[in-house]
Amino acid sequence: MSDKVKKMQEIAREILEKGEAKVVIGWEKGTHWYLSPPAFIDKPEEVERLVWDDFCHNNLSKYLKDYVNHEGKVAIFVKGCDSRAFNRLLQDKQIERDKVILIGIPCHGLKDQDKAKELGENADIPKAKKCVECRYPNPLVYDYFIGEEKALDEVAAASEARDFSDVEAIETLSPDEKYEFWNKQYERCLRCYACRNVCPACSCRECIFDQTRVGWIGKANNASENQFFALTRAMHVAGLCIECGECERVCPMNIPIMLLNKKLIKDINLLFGPYDAGVDVDGKLPLGHFDKNDPEEFM
Amino acid sequence: MKRVGVFICHCGSNIAGAVDCEKVAENAKSFPGVAFSTDYKYMCSEPGQELIKKAIKDHKLDRIVVASCSPRMHEPTFRRCLESGGLNAYLLEMANIREHCSWVHPDDKEKATWKATELVRMAVAKVLKNEPLQRSTIPITKRALVIGGGIAGIQAALDIANAGHIVDIVEKEPSIGGKMAQIDKTFPTLDCSACILTPKMVEAANHPNINLITYSEIENVEGYVGNFDVTIRKKARSVDMTLCTGCGTCMQKCPTKVPSEFEMLMTDRRAIYTPFPQAIPNKPVIDRKNCRYFTTGKCRVCEKICPTKAVDYTQEDELVTQRYGAIVVATGFDLFDHSVYGEYGYGKYKDVITGLHFERLINASGPTMGKIKRPSDGKVPKDVVFIKCVGSRDEAKGKAYCSKTCCMYTAKHATLVREKIKDSNVYVFYMDVRTPGKGYDEFYTRTTDQFGAKYIRGRVSKIYEKGDKLIVRGEDTLLGRPVEVEADMVVLATAMVAQPDAAKLAQMVGFSYDQDNFYTEAHPKLAPVETHTAGVFLAGACQGPKDIPESVAQASAAAAKACGLLSKEEMPTEPIVSCVNEAICAGCGMCVPVCPYKALDLKVIQERAHGKTITRKVATVNSGLCQGCGACTVACRSAALNLKHFTNEQILAEVDALCL
Repeated sequence: MSDKVKKMQEIAREILEKGEAKVVIGWEKGTHWYLSPPAFIDKPEEVERLVWDDFCHNNLSKYLKDYVNHEGKVAIFVKGCDSRAFNRLLQDKQIERDKVILIGIPCHGLKDQDKAKELGENADIPKAKKCVECRYPNPLVYDYFIGEEKALDEVAAASEARDFSDVEAIETLSPDEKYEFWNKQYERCLRCYACRNVCPACSCRECIFDQTRVGWIGKANNASENQFFALTRAMHVAGLCIECGECERVCPMNIPIMLLNKKLIKDINLLFGPYDAGVDVDGKLPLGHFDKNDPEEFM
Repeated sequence: MKRVGVFICHCGSNIAGAVDCEKVAENAKSFPGVAFSTDYKYMCSEPGQELIKKAIKDHKLDRIVVASCSPRMHEPTFRRCLESGGLNAYLLEMANIREHCSWVHPDDKEKATWKATELVRMAVAKVLKNEPLQRSTIPITKRALVIGGGIAGIQAALDIANAGHIVDIVEKEPSIGGKMAQIDKTFPTLDCSACILTPKMVEAANHPNINLITYSEIENVEGYVGNFDVTIRKKARSVDMTLCTGCGTCMQKCPTKVPSEFEMLMTDRRAIYTPFPQAIPNKPVIDRKNCRYFTTGKCRVCEKICPTKAVDYTQEDELVTQRYGAIVVATGFDLFDHSVYGEYGYGKYKDVITGLHFERLINASGPTMGKIKRPSDGKVPKDVVFIKCVGSRDEAKGKAYCSKTCCMYTAKHATLVREKIKDSNVYVFYMDVRTPGKGYDEFYTRTTDQFGAKYIRGRVSKIYEKGDKLIVRGEDTLLGRPVEVEADMVVLATAMVAQPDAAKLAQMVGFSYDQDNFYTEAHPKLAPVETHTAGVFLAGACQGPKDIPESVAQASAAAAKACGLLSKEEMPTEPIVSCVNEAICAGCGMCVPVCPYKALDLKVIQERAHGKTITRKVATVNSGLCQGCGACTVACRSAALNLKHFTNEQILAEVDALCL
């Protein structure tokens, strides 16, 4: 057991024993060696279930939404992306800061689950794509910290600048080619909504895809409705996406959902200046305030 | 089953000239829900309206589409028509087949007819989804606020007060009077500015319905038409207004001299001062930045000398909040800073002055007691050059617009120089002479013909000092040759610009301003004193360059609008506002900062969830403030916000009608 895991369990035990929080949300080993699903621990004796390994992908901040009306505090472990998600939810007033205890954990980058499954336990498993592009591996906000704070210096961002080359490749296609490309991708969509369920930017009380609104978006699984679903989902997280890549990871049909999200991030940067969601909790949202100097190309 | 009536207007030949109106009416008969369709020459005329009312009765219509001009023109007409025909006014939909169709496609009748048909098809689809809306009312506080105590503000306040309403004038300077108090004579009659202004100042001061709040600024504005909650910062005067008799002894004995802003820094005032002798209120303030006591902690001369013990160094700024029904903004203008013009000496030559400096030089109570003496050495100038359009009509260095008043005041200055200095020569460099207005062109003609001012058409390329002379070099473009004038003094007609803090005030009160920071009227022709914010009106040069007669006229117009509002106990509100579906509102608050009218806020609601009472936040719309722009409905990702009369469902029906 690594020192980090020991420390994790120690902090969790302390929090639960002192009654600082009712539940600690972390990760535990799942059905397979390459899965580390979320763990919800509410008894000090169960903290040994907690792990920290190369597959702790789940963005735990999303689960805070389920505890909004619970009494007492919730403690969660946050990687860089979880902490950005936490800031986002805070900005959207979906959670209260003082009801959450954050345990920061610097992240060296996680491994690709699909590749792990394919290559086997002893192979050299590559990093997940989102982690290769990650620019915020360290938690941006925390109450506890795993290891020394100087550990922050040890974990460097995998990527200094943004890499939009995948988006640019699509942008160079003709409209027909683009249509063809996306049609092919979303043909596969099952409309299982896993991407929505896991997304920390999705915080509507009743999702539009669950509403019965004749004429808006149908529930039929066909190319036209799927396209509309894809576009609506992407637009709804525009300016909010913190690039945790969870949507793409959970998609059972391997649809490159992050490509759409990244296109919107690129456009927002172009129109309103560089912006990283969930980094500055007090900052203005590019699509969430009124500014006379905003571009008005259509006028 | 809904029964829609469609009425196609010819608008004489405005629409019928490009659109086959009969055919559009015929086509409309096949649209779903349409029970009756017809066309008529002038639908807005009385027979036209009667036609609609009769059709409502005869054909049992419950929704109406009028295809005619822009709803900006006749929507109120047809809404009233529906109401008197027994229908809710909001069961009307207008298809704009004039501005949106016939006027832009005058040459292709077939396609224009097709487009008009499609516009009507969309309107029919929307009207089927329209819901009856009810106007509610909001109470009106019968008190007006006038921001700015210049001639426009004073006039507006007097008119509102004379109509029987209480008015507060908030003026940032220690005295009301504004720029007009600095001016010597007024064109085109050459009567003395102070002689016509001070009676109005006194009238305002003594009016039982007017409160002067001088040396004060607007700190914050909240609320909406009929109920603005305004916080006013009353700056510390350091003089107790109730004790001070205005004897002026303190101003004589004060040891600190400060360049007088009122006299354009050409002479001094004291640190305890009134800006000018006829100031109202005629009670001094202490300029704390320059006062010896406030800067060094020693002095207190004014306190010792004051016979009524009115001086109070411990006074602090006071914040008062007052509710107003209407606001008149009359904050006036400022002068363009001509130091950007290197060719005119960057503002460094002492004898190159602005028109307002000249006003003070020629004024009997000014620094030279009304004798025209040049600032550098006090000599009486013989050759005076005037340069017009300094900063105006100059996109490169100044403003694109014409400042409107300069042609007349320069003619006035030229006349006054020729009148006061008999052997003087006056040269006026101009681009154009623009003197429309009653008696204006006659005045200009007198300036040249009777008073012999020499007008030279051309711009000045350079001014430089040579000995005690200023050499003005320019071009006479009419003769096509360079000219050089040896001048003793040069007067620049600097542009009128917006006040430096104009944008800040507009943002605080919540109305719009243009690229030059002048305040924007609701409509340049038909709503020239209204702003887009209900209950806020504009008077004077804060809206754009204006002379005194125009400012006064606009002030009275603004007052009439304010009185119209204040004369009612309550006013109906437009029901086209946003509404919140609290069940799906997630309370993210994204709508709050996007609202340009501060109409959205979050409130806490209680509800039952899983057997417990919980509280959560949801958006709430202040229907008094909401102007129905719909910005919040776009920001709301949950679609919890919807704009009544333009709901998502109604808009989608229109889109579907066109595209499906």
